[in-house]
Amino acid sequence: MQETPRITLNKLSKKYTGSPVYALKNVSLNIQPGEVYGFLGPNGAGKSTAIRILLNFLQPTEGGATVCNLDVVDDSIEVKRNIGYLSGDLSLYLKMTGEQYLKYMGELQPATSKAYIDELIKRFKAEPKKKLGQLSRGNRQKFGIIQAFMHQPKVLILDEPTSGLDPLMQDEFYKLIQEAKNKGSSVFISSHIMSEVQRICDRVGIIRDGKLISELSIAEMEGKASHTFDITFKDKVPKKELSFLKGCKILSISQNDVSLVMQGRLSSLFAILANNEVIKINLGSADLDNEFLQFYKNKDK
Amino acid sequence: MKSIIKWTLRQRRTSTLWWCFAVASFIFINMIFYPSFKDQAAQLQQSFSNIPDSVLQLIGGSTDFFSPVGYLNGQIFFIMLPLLLGILSISLGSKLIATEEQDKTIESILARPISRSKLLLGKALAGITILGLATVAALVSTTLLAKVVGLDVSTIAIFQATLACFLLCLSFGAVAFALTSSGLSQSSSLGLTTIFAFGGYIIGSLSGTIKWLNTPSKLFSFTYYDSEEILRGTYNWNNIFFFITVVLISCFVAWYFFRSRDLK
Repeated sequence: MQETPRITLNKLSKKYTGSPVYALKNVSLNIQPGEVYGFLGPNGAGKSTAIRILLNFLQPTEGGATVCNLDVVDDSIEVKRNIGYLSGDLSLYLKMTGEQYLKYMGELQPATSKAYIDELIKRFKAEPKKKLGQLSRGNRQKFGIIQAFMHQPKVLILDEPTSGLDPLMQDEFYKLIQEAKNKGSSVFISSHIMSEVQRICDRVGIIRDGKLISELSIAEMEGKASHTFDITFKDKVPKKELSFLKGCKILSISQNDVSLVMQGRLSSLFAILANNEVIKINLGSADLDNEFLQFYKNKDK
Repeated sequence: MKSIIKWTLRQRRTSTLWWCFAVASFIFINMIFYPSFKDQAAQLQQSFSNIPDSVLQLIGGSTDFFSPVGYLNGQIFFIMLPLLLGILSISLGSKLIATEEQDKTIESILARPISRSKLLLGKALAGITILGLATVAALVSTTLLAKVVGLDVSTIAIFQATLACFLLCLSFGAVAFALTSSGLSQSSSLGLTTIFAFGGYIIGSLSGTIKWLNTPSKLFSFTYYDSEEILRGTYNWNNIFFFITVVLISCFVAWYFFRSRDLK
């Protein structure tokens, strides 16, 4: 039996006062417990609008949304007990130290424990004694992440969470997401970094001009995406057979070596490989960037 | 809500201290010279006796500048203290919600299980506390300096005049708070409240000479503030209900619009 979705958007629409167009139009989606959902789309597509409606910062024009089966407008206080939120354009009280900021946030919504805050501070190498105004963008972002996770919420809503973080801290963040997921938390994440989405998300929704134009799992996306192969044959490269292969593009070729990009089903390629003795094969990861870009660019897709 | 009050006060503690210091300093500068005037009171009074009525209305409608009550009214309570506390109050009223909304720090708070009503109330109480502290600084410095310079006005009268001034300025701040909470920009709120506050002072002052300004002047808080009457003990205290009404209506407007409007 399928569990009740943690987040539900039901024909959610938003039209800002004075604007002739909808910033969000009839968006419906469900996010399950323990699922990491990537919300993708170009700037101004409506991602932040949807997120800000979930937080009750904006009122929906039509439709509705629930978090943990609670209406985001009517039960907004209860909804927020279950949410950890990190805003895209993170603004902090710059005159406060990181410690003071976390204390303030903790007074408004108690953290799981002081030990857990200390653990997060340690993991992200945050500097709690310094004033937030003295910290770099990335170091401030760490406090944004800590305040979102410190009460171990059931739902995490994260708007471009890794912006400004160095690769080591990004890695730490991905581990934290994985831990939250393992504990059953649902994560709704907006990001432009394709490798990040590929690494942490189970499913993605792509939004453009306020409409959800596609929803698919990362596995489905990887199935559609192109893969790069570097193959060394014992004998000559079966060039003729490869050139007839649907979705195959040869990048470079020599006597025994070939580099090629294969899009779509790989079974036909493996059939050729089975008929020719292969010494070595290197498979590059699926290139989702191109897939995402198609969604970003192509209005008819 | 206690946390919101505590942290708002903490963030503004330096500026609050400076405001208290500034208010006390202005009062000190204005009162410390009273002994020099006191000796020449009769002569100075004579030179002010021929002021035209229209000018007289702008400076409070009284030619008594050098009696203890006249001096205290003219130097402190008629315009200086309402001006200082008014600026503080309008500035707080237009900033407390608007600045945090503008720089998006309000989202950190409202992403927590805190209702907008509680946030609004917390910010309003923090603002009242800051204005109250500056008012206490004014009351203490005026009372002490009155004793030091030999200004023979009762402490109760000084307390009453300071209280009325506090309520007057609170009504200004409440209007600014209601405007920004309703979604108006900080600058628009500042402008409109300044018109309400100090435009009201001009209209109220001129209404003594220009009769048709009598009715519109009743819409402004300043009309109901008469520090000279308070110091002389002849003030109609029913007038303070106007300030209280403005504060209550402003609070309701702020709550009504802020609870369900889109954040910027």
